[in-house]
Amino acid sequence: MTTATALTLDADAIGRISDRLEEPGWLRELRATWWDRAEATPPPTGLEEEWRRTDLSALPRGGELIADPPSLETVVPPGTSEGVILTDLRSAVREHPDLVRRFIGRAEGQASHAHFWALAQAAWTGGLFCYIPTGVSVDGTLVARTALPSSEGTYLPLSLIVAEEGSSVSLLEEVASPDGGAAWFGGIVEIQAGQGAQVRYANLQRLGDGAWNIGAQRVVVGRDANVTTLNAEVGSKVTKVGLDVQMTGKGGTSRLLGLLAAGGDQHIDINSDQDLHASYTTSDLLYMSALYDRSRAAFYGVTKVRSEAKQTSSYQECRNLLLSPEAGAEPIPVLEIETNDILRCGHGATAGAIDPIQLFYAQSRGLDRASAERMIVRGFFEQVVAQIHDETIRARVLEALASRIGSEEDLAA
Amino acid sequence: MALPNPALTQVPDSYRYGWHDAEQPRTTFPKGISAEIVEQISRVKGEPEWMTKLRLKAYRHFEARPMPKWGADLDGIDFQDIYYYVTGTDKAAQSWDDVPDYIRRTYDKLGIPEAEKKYLAGVGGQYDSEVIYHNIREDLEKQGVVFLGTDEALKTYPEMFREHFGTVIPPNDNKLAALNTAVWSGGSFIYVPPGIHVELPLQAYFRINTENMGQFERTLIIADEGSSVHYVEGCTAPTYSTASLHSAVVEIIVKKGARVRYTTIQNWSHNVYNLVTKRAVAHEDAVMEWVDGNLGSKVTMKYPSIYLLGERAHGEVLSIAFAGDGQHQDAGGKIIHAAPNTTSLITSKSISKGTGRTSYRGLIKVYPGCEKSKSTVRCDALILDEEARSDTYPYMEIDEEDVTIGHEASVSKVGSEQLFYLMSRGLSEAEASAMIVNGFIEPIVKELPMEYAVEMNRLIQLQMEGAVG
Repeated sequence: MTTATALTLDADAIGRISDRLEEPGWLRELRATWWDRAEATPPPTGLEEEWRRTDLSALPRGGELIADPPSLETVVPPGTSEGVILTDLRSAVREHPDLVRRFIGRAEGQASHAHFWALAQAAWTGGLFCYIPTGVSVDGTLVARTALPSSEGTYLPLSLIVAEEGSSVSLLEEVASPDGGAAWFGGIVEIQAGQGAQVRYANLQRLGDGAWNIGAQRVVVGRDANVTTLNAEVGSKVTKVGLDVQMTGKGGTSRLLGLLAAGGDQHIDINSDQDLHASYTTSDLLYMSALYDRSRAAFYGVTKVRSEAKQTSSYQECRNLLLSPEAGAEPIPVLEIETNDILRCGHGATAGAIDPIQLFYAQSRGLDRASAERMIVRGFFEQVVAQIHDETIRARVLEALASRIGSEEDLAA
Repeated sequence: MALPNPALTQVPDSYRYGWHDAEQPRTTFPKGISAEIVEQISRVKGEPEWMTKLRLKAYRHFEARPMPKWGADLDGIDFQDIYYYVTGTDKAAQSWDDVPDYIRRTYDKLGIPEAEKKYLAGVGGQYDSEVIYHNIREDLEKQGVVFLGTDEALKTYPEMFREHFGTVIPPNDNKLAALNTAVWSGGSFIYVPPGIHVELPLQAYFRINTENMGQFERTLIIADEGSSVHYVEGCTAPTYSTASLHSAVVEIIVKKGARVRYTTIQNWSHNVYNLVTKRAVAHEDAVMEWVDGNLGSKVTMKYPSIYLLGERAHGEVLSIAFAGDGQHQDAGGKIIHAAPNTTSLITSKSISKGTGRTSYRGLIKVYPGCEKSKSTVRCDALILDEEARSDTYPYMEIDEEDVTIGHEASVSKVGSEQLFYLMSRGLSEAEASAMIVNGFIEPIVKELPMEYAVEMNRLIQLQMEGAVG
C-alpha cells in the first residue's frame, strides 16, 4: 500500500482512499456523498462574517494527501471496561463496522466550516474513534496522540467521540508536526454526548510553524449531559477553528474552554456557535489568549438562544493579554436572543497589556521582568487552568504552554 | 431727507410677518432618482457648481454600491418609489386626517399642544416659539455663533461650508450617505467660535420653518477650539412622515479642547426606514458625546461614531433603543482610537417588546501607537415578551498593546420577583413594568434635557400600557 502513487485532493482520490483501506461499500458511498457536498459548498470567500479576519488565499491546497498517517498512540488506563473503544478510525471501521456506521458522517457541519467539514468527511485518512458504552465510567484519562512525521502535505483527520447514556469519560487528543514546510491540517471532531453523559475533551494542538490548521468541532449535548471541551492552541502558522455546540437536550450543560499562547507571526482565529435549542440548558465559553510578538487572535462567537429554549443560562468570555506592541486582538462576542424567558445571558471581552502595577509589584519582590511577566501570564491563564480537573490533561497542557509562558520550575528557580 | 436704506427695501415679502418663510420654487419632482433629478435639485437650490458636482459624484457612488446585506432587513425599500425633493407647498398638502390614529392618541396622552401636534405631524408650520427663537438667535449672534439651515449656510458662509462639508463623511462613505450627499436638503449648520460656550441646548426646533426634520437632512457642526455646544435633534413625541425613507448625515468637527454633545430622540412613525450616518472627529483634548435615543421607525440602522484623532480626546455614546411590535432598532456606536491617551465609553440600553427586535452593533478600534487608550463598552438588553428578540454584535479591533479595552453585555427580562414586589405595593402590572423599564433606562434618561426626560418616561409608560405602537 505504501508504494502507491501520491494522492492529491480530488474526486479520484476519494475512491482511491477507499481502495487502499479496503473499505466497505457503505463507506465508499458515504465518502462520495460528502465529496459531492464539499463540491456543492464553495470554500469561504473571505466576505463571510466568520472569515473576514482570516485570509485563506495562501492555504497550501496543492500538497500531497497524507494517506498513511502514523498510527495513533493511545493510552487507556488499566482496568478500563471492556466495551470502551479508543482506536484509530480506520481500525474502527474494520473492527466495529456497525458501530462506526451508526455515528459517522451523519451531521452537517457548522455553516462557517461546511466546506471543510465536508472535505474531511470525504477524505479522512486518520483520526480516532472513541466509544463509551451506556453507563460506563472511565477512570483516569484516555489519551490519543498523533505525531506527524512531515511538515508538509494535506491531512484531514476525523475524530468521532460517542459517549452513550450515563457514561463518563476524559479524553486528551494531541496532534503535533515538525516545523518548516507548509501543511494543511483540516481535522474535524465530532462529540456526541447521550443522555446524562459526562464528557471532558481536550485538544492540544502543537502543529509546526508552517501549518494551516483549519479545523472544526461539533458537540451535540443530549438531555442532562455535561460536556467540557478545552482547546489549547500552541502551534501552527494560521489556526481557524470553528466550534459548534448544539444544546439539543433539556438540562444539558456545555463549557468551552480555550487557551491560546501565540507568538511570532501566528494568527489564531476562533469562531463559535453556541446554539441553545432546548430548555434549561447552560452553555458557557471562556477563551483566553496570551499574545506575543506580532501574533494576532480573533474571536467571533455567537450565542443563539432559540425562542423554544426557556430558562437557559449562557455566558461568553474572551480575554486577551497583549504582550507586545505589535500583537493584536479582535474579540467579538455576539448574542442573538429570541426569547425573554432566560435565566442568565451575557458576555464579556477584554484586551489589554499586563497591568504595570502587577508587574512592578512582582519585580519589587525580586523577580526580573521576564519572570514577572511569565508569572502574571500564568496567573491570567489560571482562570481556565483551574477549571481543568483532569490531572493528566492539565499537566500536558501546561507543559505545552511552557515554551511561551514558562513552567513552575522557571518560577521556582 | 435721507434716502430709504436700500438693504431694507430688499427684504423679501416673506419676512414681513417676522418669520423666515423661505420662498420655495414651485418645481415638481417626480418619484425616483436619477442623475437628472440630482442635478435639478442642485439647480433649484441655486447652488455653486462644486456642490452640483459633489452631488453627482455621490450619486454615482450610490448607484455603484450594493445595499448592505448585514443588519436589518431593508428589502422593503424601493429607491424609485421615493420623492427625493419635496417643496414646502407640496408638504402642506398633507392633511391632519392622514395622520395615523396611534400617533394622534399619543399626542393627546402626552398633552402636546395643538400647533405642535400639527407641526410634528408635518401638516403645519410651527410659529409659536418665535419670541424665544428671536431672543436665542440674538444672543447667539452676539457671541458670533452661526446657527442656520444648511442650505442657507451654503449661501451665507460658502468658504467655511466648503472647507468642512463632506470631510468627516465623504460622499463615498456608504450607500446611504452617498444618497444623502446626492439629494440632501435642510438640516442645521452650526459654527461656534473659539472659547464660546453656548449655554442653552440648541434645538432644531428653534430654527423654525426650515427643513429641520426633513427626509435627507444634512447637519454640520463645527466647534472651534475651546468652545462648547449641545445640539438637540428630534423630539420624544412621534413624528409623522409619509416618506418611507429617512436618510440623514450628520458631521461634527470638535476642535482642540472643544466639547460637543449631540442628542437625538428619534420617534418616527412606524412606516419609516431610518438609515442615518453620524460621525464626529475629536481633536486634541476634545470631548464628543452622542446621546442617541431610538423609539420610532420601522427599521433604524444608526451607529453614531467618533474618531478620536488628537491626544487625550474623549468620546462617549449613550444609546437607548425601544423596539415594539414589528420594529427593528439596529443601533449602537463606533469609536476609533487614532491617538494616544484617548478614552471612550459606550453605554447601550435596549428594550424589546411584543415582536420587536433590538440589536446593538458597535465597534471599538485601536490603531497601533495609540498607547494608554482606554475603552469601556457596556450593553444591557431587556426583553419584555416571549417573542421579542435582542442581539449584541460588539466588534473590537485592537492593534496596540498598552491599552485597556473591555466589553460587557447582559440580556435579561423583567424579574418576576421585582414585578411581584411592586404589585404587592399596589401597582398594576403595566405600571410596575413601566417603573422597572424606566429604572433600566435611567442612566441615559438622566442625561437628557429635562423636558425630554419627562416626555420619555411618559412615553415608556404609554408603550407599556399597550396604548400605542
